[in-house]
Amino acid sequence: MSNLNDDDNIEQPKPSLVPPFLAAFVSLIIPGLGQILARAVSRGLLIFFGMGTILGLAVWRFILAAPRDKGALAIFKKALRLEPFLILITLIILILYIWIARDAYFAAMQIGSKPFGLSLLFLVVFFALGWQVSEINPVTILTQADDAWPALSKVIWPWERAIEYPEEFISGGANIRVPCTDEALAPTEPVDEAPYVISFPTCGELTAQDGTPGTNLTIIGYNFISGVEAGIRWTDPNLQTFRHRLEGDFVIVTPDENGEFQIDVIMPYRLLPPSRAEGDMIWEISAQQVSSVGKPQASQELKLAIEKIIETIFIGMMATFFGIILAVPVSFLAARNLMSGSQVTVSIYYFTRTIMNIVRSIEPLIWAIIFVIAVGLGPFAGTLALTAHSVAALGKLYSESIESIERGPIEAIEATGANWLQTVVFAVIPQIIPPFVSFTIYRWDINVRMSTIIGAVGGGGIGFLLIQWIRLTDYRAAGIAVWFIAITVAALDFFSAKIRERFV
Amino acid sequence: MLEVRHLTKIYDDGTVAVNDVSFEVAEGDFLVIIGLSGSGKSTLLRCINRLIEPTEGEIIWNGVDLVQLQGEDLRNARRQIGMIFQHFNLVNRSSVLTNVLSGRLGYTPSWKSLLGRFSPEDLEKATQVLERLGIADQTHKRADELSGGQQQRVGVARALMQEPTMILADEPVASLDPVLAHSIMQQLELLNQEDDMTIICSLHYLDLVQRYASNVIGLRDGEIAYRGSKTEIQAMTDDEFKEIYGEEAERVGHGLEGELQSTPEAEK
Ligand SMILES: Nc1ncnc2c1ncn2[C@@H]1O[C@H](COP(=O)(O)OP(=O)(O)O)[C@@H](O)[C@H]1O
Ligand SMILES: [Mg+2]
Repeated sequence: MSNLNDDDNIEQPKPSLVPPFLAAFVSLIIPGLGQILARAVSRGLLIFFGMGTILGLAVWRFILAAPRDKGALAIFKKALRLEPFLILITLIILILYIWIARDAYFAAMQIGSKPFGLSLLFLVVFFALGWQVSEINPVTILTQADDAWPALSKVIWPWERAIEYPEEFISGGANIRVPCTDEALAPTEPVDEAPYVISFPTCGELTAQDGTPGTNLTIIGYNFISGVEAGIRWTDPNLQTFRHRLEGDFVIVTPDENGEFQIDVIMPYRLLPPSRAEGDMIWEISAQQVSSVGKPQASQELKLAIEKIIETIFIGMMATFFGIILAVPVSFLAARNLMSGSQVTVSIYYFTRTIMNIVRSIEPLIWAIIFVIAVGLGPFAGTLALTAHSVAALGKLYSESIESIERGPIEAIEATGANWLQTVVFAVIPQIIPPFVSFTIYRWDINVRMSTIIGAVGGGGIGFLLIQWIRLTDYRAAGIAVWFIAITVAALDFFSAKIRERFV
Repeated sequence: MLEVRHLTKIYDDGTVAVNDVSFEVAEGDFLVIIGLSGSGKSTLLRCINRLIEPTEGEIIWNGVDLVQLQGEDLRNARRQIGMIFQHFNLVNRSSVLTNVLSGRLGYTPSWKSLLGRFSPEDLEKATQVLERLGIADQTHKRADELSGGQQQRVGVARALMQEPTMILADEPVASLDPVLAHSIMQQLELLNQEDDMTIICSLHYLDLVQRYASNVIGLRDGEIAYRGSKTEIQAMTDDEFKEIYGEEAERVGHGLEGELQSTPEAEK
């Protein structure tokens, strides 16, 4: 009988209240109770609450897996069938359960056993539950990687979307008389430079409702842009334009290297109101090309992204600026060495610290939501959110650097007969400037990074665009935003490092 | 003439750092205070220029009780008392020149010094002082880029800018190696002998005490345990020194006698 190894140091070497088998049995009913009765109270409580948590989590996962079933057994069976992983969890919990009984037995025997195995089992159970709760599934990473590639490639190289060319419609047409009369319509006059179309013949019958095909026209186009697809279109006497179809598909021609094409078309159905059904009509057949002409221009998306990234940088800057202005006075109130004078100052110190810690512990994103409610969507809300967080974070860092200034130089300057103000300027400020500058740049860095995402909750900046484009699955546009964010953050990193080098 | 009478300093936590200490320092004296660490040397020195408020006692300097001075008067008295510190107490991030010029703050109106402006005479004087101490070439370096010995020279230069008639030196060479220790002590000796400045200096090493002191007081637990004149110190043996000083007493080293004439250049 030795309890030298017993890890429960609080335990006195008093004998167990119950025999070992009873302890093990009791622990099977209520995990941990056996240990408590064996006078390993703290261990017993730990097991009790640990096991309670595990069982609670497990029950929740089982119910979640079989939400529609009634009755414990039905749920249990169904969940095991639907989620095989739960079988593993059940097994481990069972092993743990038995282990706890075993542990109670040894505790009652007063044989010190290291709680190593037990702790390990607890860890394993929590790990397995965690795996299940967070729906970890490494297979999907491999199987679904391919699906992500098209979107990802657009994000990686989105620049096609950044430029656009002004578009111009080029078309040439020929008039067709419906129906044919003695008076033939003169063929289109050839023109230089501009595209034109000649039709043979220049009159014809429309396809009838009963399916009798209309007149077959041979259309020859000249002066089109070679190689650029042209759509064939009809313009009816009411000046309604529609595209010519052949068996349901739009008819498209591609002019040759001389800019010429030839195609046979059958005249379309008559889709005119009955009032215009009779008499002499002039239809027009034309070919239309869409060509990108002129210089490339920044696309709408690119312009928007530029606008918003500028807004983003300024949100970060203004928040840092207001942050500094407010944090400096606050930091003096939160510096222990300045505030240890009297009871009043000490309580101000604790008050300031507490408020700062609370404000700091609330994420900027949450602040943004709060301020969006308060002042509405837009960059102002974002600025306020980042300012709130900055004041608290900077206030803490500033006050710590005030707390760590050296007393020596201050005393030396005082000894020269300098007054209070001179002492502050010559001995205090030189000491706090470098850490202040360093922390401020660090904060500016964080603020710009943060301002790129607070847009997601409506706080202004590029984050809003990014979220919107992702939702519209416009991955190229989203890619532009991602690139801008990356460039901004990298540039900021670079410059803040440079500035810090100079001051610190 | 400085007269310290019944000076006592009790810190807020109840520590009696200096207990009823009285002594006199004549003009042109080189008074050395010896005593173990914690015996109250720093406290005593800081009470004289009121960096620490004495609890009781009088400090009469040229007929004025320094303990009674307030505000402007106190600052005017302080600017005539230079102070040199064990850890130099330079403003590390400021330049050597700024550190030295800050010795003139007591003579400079606030608004001017806030703008960092010093008169041309002050600048001229700074150049002279830096040259005298052999660190003119370091003028524009940051103070913390200098070696320990150079930094202490800047400390001495800052004190000299005050045009003091008395210098308080709190273990000025305790952070320096023996050669540098002697070269700084020699500077103080020069100030004492050529510029007639009164010097009160706390020291650790017996040979430095014997070499430079014109008078010595020994502190133990905040009380004066020994007083000696120059001749008495010269005659003192190591054992006697240990008697007052305790077992920690030590010498810089006997082998250094030949190097006493070391010049500032020797440091580099
Ligand atoms: N600010 C202070 N508050 C309380 N006690 C102090 C303070 N400064 C020094 N002491 C104490 O006063 C005594 C004398 O210290 P000090 O004057 O620094 O001695 P020395 O310079 O001879 O080493 C020591 O016991 C020290 O602990
Ligand atoms: Mg000391």
